[in-house]
Amino acid sequence: MRRPSSRGSAAVAIAAAWLLAMPEAAHAHLVTTGLGPLFDGIMHLAVTPEDLLPVAAISMLVGLRGKEHARAALLTVPVAWVLAGWVGLGRPVEIPLATTFVSFLAFGGLVAADVRLSRAWIVVLAAALGALHGYLNGYEMAVAGLGMTGLIGSAASVFVLMTLASALVVSLEVGWTRIAVRVAGSWVVAVGLLMIGWSLR
Amino acid sequence: MSAPRSGRAGLRGLALAVAALAVPAGLSAHEGGSVAGLLSGLLHPVTGLDHVIAMIAVGLWGAQLGKPAVWVLPVVFPMVMAFGGMLGLIGLPIPGVEIGIAASAILLGGVVAGEVNPGLRLAGLLVAVFAIFHGHAHGTELPDGQSGILYSIGFVASTGLLHASGIAIGLIHRWDWGRRVLRVLGGVVAAGGAWFLLQALSGG
Amino acid sequence: MAAYAALAIALPKGVAGHDVRPGYLELREQADGTFAVVWKQPTKSEVPLEVDLVFPAGCRVSGVRQETAADGQVRFHARLTCPEGLTDQTIRLAGLEGLQTDVLVEIHYTNDTKETHLVRPASPSLVVGGAPSVIDRVFAYLGLGMAHIALGVDHLLFVLGLLLIVRDRRTLIKTITSFTVAHSITLGIATLGFASAPTVPLNAVIALSILFLGPEIVRVWRGQTSFTIRHPWVVAFAFGLLHGFGFASGLTSMGLPQSEIPLALLFFNVGVEIGQIVFVLLVLALVRSFRTLEIRWPRWVQAAPGYAVGSLGAMWTIDRVLVLMGLA
Repeated sequence: MRRPSSRGSAAVAIAAAWLLAMPEAAHAHLVTTGLGPLFDGIMHLAVTPEDLLPVAAISMLVGLRGKEHARAALLTVPVAWVLAGWVGLGRPVEIPLATTFVSFLAFGGLVAADVRLSRAWIVVLAAALGALHGYLNGYEMAVAGLGMTGLIGSAASVFVLMTLASALVVSLEVGWTRIAVRVAGSWVVAVGLLMIGWSLR
Repeated sequence: MSAPRSGRAGLRGLALAVAALAVPAGLSAHEGGSVAGLLSGLLHPVTGLDHVIAMIAVGLWGAQLGKPAVWVLPVVFPMVMAFGGMLGLIGLPIPGVEIGIAASAILLGGVVAGEVNPGLRLAGLLVAVFAIFHGHAHGTELPDGQSGILYSIGFVASTGLLHASGIAIGLIHRWDWGRRVLRVLGGVVAAGGAWFLLQALSGG
Repeated sequence: MAAYAALAIALPKGVAGHDVRPGYLELREQADGTFAVVWKQPTKSEVPLEVDLVFPAGCRVSGVRQETAADGQVRFHARLTCPEGLTDQTIRLAGLEGLQTDVLVEIHYTNDTKETHLVRPASPSLVVGGAPSVIDRVFAYLGLGMAHIALGVDHLLFVLGLLLIVRDRRTLIKTITSFTVAHSITLGIATLGFASAPTVPLNAVIALSILFLGPEIVRVWRGQTSFTIRHPWVVAFAFGLLHGFGFASGLTSMGLPQSEIPLALLFFNVGVEIGQIVFVLLVLALVRSFRTLEIRWPRWVQAAPGYAVGSLGAMWTIDRVLVLMGLA
């Protein structure tokens, strides 16, 4: 915030940069943004049960253990997701989507059994989950032409879902509600087993 | 049974549908099919009365047995059931599935009627064996052209909700009259199972 | 200031917004069994998008004429003759699959019934006679309203700004309700055609409303108070009236026929409100979850939403004002 004159010229410069960056926006309104890749990336998690259920499962797992574990996973999964996804964007190797059944069995099983893992283990598992699913997401984003923006959108969804789900589970105090979480974990395992069946069929 | 269809292709189909969703269009042409898959998965267990009564009986029995059975059974059942479903999907035959399901209703109804408590381990084992039959029979009946994973999710969730309703009904166990009602319900389930057994035997 | 310039360049194109208007196709059955066709192509920034109508093979199109409406939109009129009828036949919108917009198709029959299809790029064709129930249309307009708010970054930023100012639940409910009531009023007025706001100045003022909240948020941080902080619902109501005109553009640009407007208006609005409530609940749930998990963000992260409201508001205001003055 210096002299008014420099502020004014800065404003013109900004506007010029803005308009150069998007010539066709000159007469656009603000209301419609067009369904950009970011939005598509955000929606991707919601329509991909192969990612959605394992992410929900790890949220339940860390939620059952408490806030310290939840915080560790919240930081690890999205970071691993974006890093591995960045590799996946280059499409080095195709991994079949069906490999995600590993996450179904592992994380669903840990929730169902209510295994008391240390925070270090949580970080390792969270990194593994983020890496596998992030890689697959990056690959899909590349195929769909959404690129890094789409990947960041999907990682953002993962972060939001994990925050909400793990906080919800952390706040559960009544005994049977924690059991319900374990039952949900067993459902994830069940879906994973059926997925193996489908993919071997 | 649906027409033979490769599960691998099914998954890839879903991936394609997802990719289509991800393109700026925002909505996929396959959306109807996916939602239909979820719906038919959800509805499938409810439409087979033999499955419904056996699942509710699991919940009732769990409620009668109290902790820890009340939650061990609903945790164990979906996993073992899905294992049975997986066996069915990869084509491993299990003989007499229909008879097994009917028998499960008789037995589960019977133990509820008699308030039998064989101990957690035996109860779990009994339920697990039946779960395999249920999964084998119902987990594989995917209508053509629908998403396998969504069908599975719907199927598992619906079965779990049947358990939950069984447990919810079983909450009346705390009262004397409730205990009697539960035993009567067990008898009804067993009778239903007997009827289904007759059907299965006469049907071949 | 340098930060602003960097932001302007780094922002993805989508944020600026393209003025994409959905297309509209009307087929009106005549007494002799032919159909009068009216076709408005979807446009982007006033330029028509390449979408071709492909009618069933047995049909014949005649008497095509072009007409430019007062608002500059081009309409095509034609006559469609289908000896075998149109029922169960497929009309294709070739080229729509590559676009990011929808086409609303309405077929009016001589017996005063009509069917409506919202054709999307994912499946750019429709089968005539697909029993268009009121339910179908309700869902179509609900979806349209939800999509409109989901993509209306400016409206969401304004709501976010309000959330950052509001301190307690009672005020929150009052504020969001008054914003809702206000924009519903003007959305109705504008859609029913009683009044309209010129697009460019409207957008400038909407941007200004967002910018206006920036300093208020800073006052909240500093523990100061102001009229807006004490009575956020008054501000929400006043600016809500403006935002309602903005929402209306999503509906009026479809060029809906008069008879369809009450239903469309109602459920478009309901869709907008659903989207808005989902956004508010999501923000509140996230804040609550962060508290449950005892996540303590660094100061700059805590401040980021406030700065986003202020700086994007400022940037859009400058942008809109330049457009308004004819400098851009």
